[in-house]
Amino acid sequence: MKKTNQLNRREFLAAAGTAAVSMPYIIPSGVLAAPRRIGANEKITMAHIGVGGMGGYHLNDMIQRRQQGQVNIAAVCDIDKNRLINALKTAGPGVEPYHDYRYILQQKDIDAVVISTPDHWHAVQMVHAAECGKHVYVEKPACCTIEEGKAMVAAAKENNVSVQVGSQGRSQPEAYLAHRYLVNGNIGHISRVDCFHYPSPEDNNPVPDSDPPAELDWDMWLGPLRWRSYNQRYCHGVFRWLLESGGGQIRDRGAHVMSCAMWWMGADGTGPVTVEATGTAPKKGLWDSAVLMDVTYTFKNPDWVLTWRQMPNDQLPKAEERTGNEPGGKISRPGYGAIYRGDKGEFIHWGGDGGTWAEKKARQWELPAGGKDVYKSPGHKEDWFKGIRTGAKTIMNIEAAVGVANLCVLGNLSYVLGRKLEWDQANQTIVGDPQAQRIMGRPQRHPYHL
Amino acid sequence: MSTNSLKKVSIAAAAAGVIAQTTDTAQAQGVDELLAGIKSDSAEKRTKRWQSAGEVGAPAVKPLAEVMTDDNLEVARAAKRALWQIVRYTGRPKANKEKRAVEAELVGLLGKDQPVAVRREVLWMLSEIGGRNSIKPIARLIRNEDMREDARMALERIPTKRAVATLKTAFEKAPEDFKPNIAQSLRKRGEQIEGYPCKKLIPTKQTDVKPL
Repeated sequence: MKKTNQLNRREFLAAAGTAAVSMPYIIPSGVLAAPRRIGANEKITMAHIGVGGMGGYHLNDMIQRRQQGQVNIAAVCDIDKNRLINALKTAGPGVEPYHDYRYILQQKDIDAVVISTPDHWHAVQMVHAAECGKHVYVEKPACCTIEEGKAMVAAAKENNVSVQVGSQGRSQPEAYLAHRYLVNGNIGHISRVDCFHYPSPEDNNPVPDSDPPAELDWDMWLGPLRWRSYNQRYCHGVFRWLLESGGGQIRDRGAHVMSCAMWWMGADGTGPVTVEATGTAPKKGLWDSAVLMDVTYTFKNPDWVLTWRQMPNDQLPKAEERTGNEPGGKISRPGYGAIYRGDKGEFIHWGGDGGTWAEKKARQWELPAGGKDVYKSPGHKEDWFKGIRTGAKTIMNIEAAVGVANLCVLGNLSYVLGRKLEWDQANQTIVGDPQAQRIMGRPQRHPYHL
Repeated sequence: MSTNSLKKVSIAAAAAGVIAQTTDTAQAQGVDELLAGIKSDSAEKRTKRWQSAGEVGAPAVKPLAEVMTDDNLEVARAAKRALWQIVRYTGRPKANKEKRAVEAELVGLLGKDQPVAVRREVLWMLSEIGGRNSIKPIARLIRNEDMREDARMALERIPTKRAVATLKTAFEKAPEDFKPNIAQSLRKRGEQIEGYPCKKLIPTKQTDVKPL
């Protein structure tokens, strides 16, 4: 796509001499701010965009880091007034409240933003933040469409910002142990990874559309999505069960479990050649993501198969029994994970997000002399901070995260279209299916667009 | 033409007539069965029916649109999902004839006789399968304040030069308050637009929440 209507830095400065005062808001993206590389002992100044749900978790986590002298927290932002007030109380004095995240992006003293909004906002806000020179931590899944993912990768690269996507499973201690165990050939050559997950929920108590609650800016909650009337089943949290905004379990937890798979299989930067999905639809209500689902991704060169299966609870693999005393504790999320199938054996892990539990044999395995070690994340946020300070690639960098999100997106596309899709990884496009190609992107409502 | 040839032609014509009639009957039966299922009190039946709507195709489009505004929300929802199923099924590769038939029926639903909710939904359906025959009817809705944003986005998605040309014309004629929206679509399609700079980074919504 041609870039138009954007000034370069020199043109902007020339124009600013005559128009900066009268036209402060037509500043094109990428002109005002280059990202700041921050010294090892300097605090990173943060702003939080979206402070409910995972946003609340991130804010609390960052408050602890503030106490440790790692960061400043300059601002919190939410389009739900109640959430904003609560976040402000949590964050304490000295933190500015905002309703519109774009005010935050104008603040030159803010180095980085944590984006924890619903999925349909991730790409737009991440791209805008990058264009304004902010480093970004954005919740998973990275994107809702293939085109959004392309824009995110391009924005991070063009603006040289450090991006960490919230598939934090990669940074968990047992993810490191699992990764190390697998790459050292303990189960031989792995030709198949079967991800499992319990079903997406059905809405058994649908409600009609209504006026939005007074504290919620419904227009801005929708943002890039097409306009529709408010319904309680859109938000908060439950946006996950709509294909448009959340994409169901495959895009929620798939962005965790398949993230581990791509990382451990050394498959970041690669993609499947075909994707084929089937599923069962909810019987009533607004939510439309598949309740049960089977997706098969076929990879070539090297050849392997990745599957995603949302299955009835009674078909899920039994979780390993663990005592609460050992590191990692008991498996508190046994309902999802993956089985790695090699020619010498199998390996299973549970969870894959903030809770990632590796099978005992991987936990007990010791790296022999001459064995292959793998990157051990210092922690997901620490890994991001390292990226901000040094420019090092983050463990869940935007290219990797978009690759994983694309798996989720393609799975859902195959499901809604009811047919197998062919994927061209090099050109990031679906092949031979004009309708599927059209819905690789989704036109966005003015002015909430990439 | 010999007598034998005439006989063959008339037999073929009769057979074609019978096939057409049989097809029409089968299609009508398919539509009836689909609608009966969609209107069923049973959530199971409704779901089963909307999922199998794809093959019923174009003849079901208008009848389903009528049910999309049913007072029973779940029936209306099932009708909408059935219509989407048809769009997704007939949009498959190498089904051009079926797709064009569905497109024609959808275009017929863009008129003033249809509720705004139906027309908006149809715009998004056409954004997925619409071709040259959809463009003018969609463009007309850019003059309608209730539907112009959806119409603009639908045109943005149709990957033809004609869609871009139509957006350009619409831009010229659009009221000032809507020109930035169309400019957004045109830039997305790689066009250079003078004026109406991108507003995506302009903050507009202040909060009345005060800092502590």
